[in-house]
Amino acid sequence: MSFYSILRAEYKLVYSEMIRRRSALIAMILYPYLFAGFTLFFGYTMGSAEIFSRRIGVDPVIFMITASYTVMSVLASVDDVLWRPLSDTFIGTLPYIIASPVSRLKLYLAIPIPRLTALIVMGFTSIIPVYTAYYGLEGLLSGLVVMGLITLGCLTMITLAMVIAGLVHTIGESWRVLNIVRPLVMILLGAYYPRIYMPLIGYVLSSLIPSSHIVEVIHNMLRGELSNFYILIALAIALAVLYAPGGNKSILYWEKKKVREGVKTD
Amino acid sequence: MGEAIVVEDLAKTYRVKKRIRFLKSHIEVVEALRGISFKVRYGEVVGLLGPNGAGKTTTIKILATLLLPDRGEALIDGYSVVKEPNKVRERIGIMLTVEKGFYGKLSGRENLEYFAALYGLEPRRARERINYLVKLLELDKLGADYKLFEEYSLGMKARLSLARALLRDAPVLLLDEPTLGLDPPSARKIRDLVKDLARKEGKAILYTTHNMFEAEMVCDRILLINKGTIVAEGTPEELKSRVPMLKVVNLVVRGNKKVRGLIADYNVKYEVKTEASDLHTIRVYVEKPEEILGDLLKKFVRNGYDIVSIRVEEPTLEDVFIYFSREA
Ligand SMILES: Nc1ncnc2c1ncn2[C@@H]1O[C@H](COP(=O)(O)OP(=O)(O)OP(=O)(O)O)[C@@H](O)[C@H]1O
Ligand SMILES: [Mg+2]
Repeated sequence: MSFYSILRAEYKLVYSEMIRRRSALIAMILYPYLFAGFTLFFGYTMGSAEIFSRRIGVDPVIFMITASYTVMSVLASVDDVLWRPLSDTFIGTLPYIIASPVSRLKLYLAIPIPRLTALIVMGFTSIIPVYTAYYGLEGLLSGLVVMGLITLGCLTMITLAMVIAGLVHTIGESWRVLNIVRPLVMILLGAYYPRIYMPLIGYVLSSLIPSSHIVEVIHNMLRGELSNFYILIALAIALAVLYAPGGNKSILYWEKKKVREGVKTD
Repeated sequence: MGEAIVVEDLAKTYRVKKRIRFLKSHIEVVEALRGISFKVRYGEVVGLLGPNGAGKTTTIKILATLLLPDRGEALIDGYSVVKEPNKVRERIGIMLTVEKGFYGKLSGRENLEYFAALYGLEPRRARERINYLVKLLELDKLGADYKLFEEYSLGMKARLSLARALLRDAPVLLLDEPTLGLDPPSARKIRDLVKDLARKEGKAILYTTHNMFEAEMVCDRILLINKGTIVAEGTPEELKSRVPMLKVVNLVVRGNKKVRGLIADYNVKYEVKTEASDLHTIRVYVEKPEEILGDLLKKFVRNGYDIVSIRVEEPTLEDVFIYFSREA
């Protein structure tokens, strides 16, 4: 069973939905700009740009735009994994998916990639122009590297999202819990609030999230530092691989629970 | 070749927590299956025939690895649905509630492509198979293959659903009321295909329905199920001949009062259908109609009923069904 055919099927599913549902398409296009505008607005109302730059060591506009883009992409990927079981339940496709021999790991790895692709394409209209305007050609290059890193960050989140999805849906009343997971991931990523400023417990929890290490790489890069570049990236990937068996088990555990209760077919 | 489906002593009880008041709830217990056993061979369509709530869907779900039984065992192509669900999943095509189960914003063809990928078909093989199935089910004639699923009529949905069940060319098909709510041409198309799949391709097919007429037309063998128990089993002819001495008195009377009380005195099996609140069709199952007929008629007349019609008939499959169900 090839990952490629599953991925292709997911692309078609996501893009047919996007293209054929106009509201979804518009939301998809506008979302990053709204998100960035929103954070910039709040960023400015919170304090002066100068203090910010001195403390973090990065220009606030660049920092905020990068942070929103990172958080948005990571959350979109995590959300795709987290909500998929609910949407399949709702649409009524769940029994056919459970009764199929598809590898759950392959399926869930494929699920967030189509939307992620769209987000990357949109990065060319947000991150890249801003970076280029600020730093010229060098900005263009670092913009590309940052986008690459964010993509990697999103991919490393999938297996952890699977772990969470299986657990949360097994517990039930899952959408309530999911609404807590979102802001939690958002904070612990450290994109807005670098984790070196977090209390110890926050720092530890943050370190368990694969993409938080990528976020750190990006922050370092923006400060012109390349220390631990490969170590942090390796750490993110290692964590993602480490979560993979757990993610697979977690989803299967949830499915087993569904089967014990009886999968709804009407 | 072994048996395609072997079911032994399968039982399932649903327990549903019903909240009565805040903090107060009780558990509702429904015995959906009370230990059923049956077999289905390759090349055979077996009908699971029963009224609403009989346990048909529950049986299908257990066989489709979508529900765990409390007790008993079921083997598909030799593999246990409980212990080896993944092996079972590679060998079944399923068709559940027809209205749901596809992505609305995908066309019929795209939906099939999606599930083909989940079922592990290679892209080229998938395309060939889908082309074949679209023709077989005449989805192309209906202009349905490129139409979005959300714009489908029920008949198209049923065809698409059967097409998905056939995607993998699985040896065992589990079809839960595949013709429910369809117009006669669509229903016939599905029935004819199902018969062909068993005859020509040797598939083992379990087919649930609550329609006697349909069961008699499609099925090689029928299992009558009621309240979680298989009450009778056999070919349509065998089932009819198992109640050979039985005759059916079909009596139509008009009157406002309850008719059940009048018949109950006779200690016979009967079935009453009331239309327009005062027109009652009564079917009484008796060995010797002449022994009770005169008395029964007198009784109705005495109680102020008009006799609309009276007929003595051979039992239909429906009568057989009612007869066995009452017994259980
Ligand atoms: N998930 C469930 N929770 C609780 N009770 C259930 C559940 N599913 C089915 N039941 C009950 O179990 C019994 C058998 O249901 P089942 O769906 O198997 O019947 P069926 O023969 O398919 O009926 P129908 O013709 O209405 O589809 C019914 O009394 C039904 O109410
Ligand atoms: Mg049913």
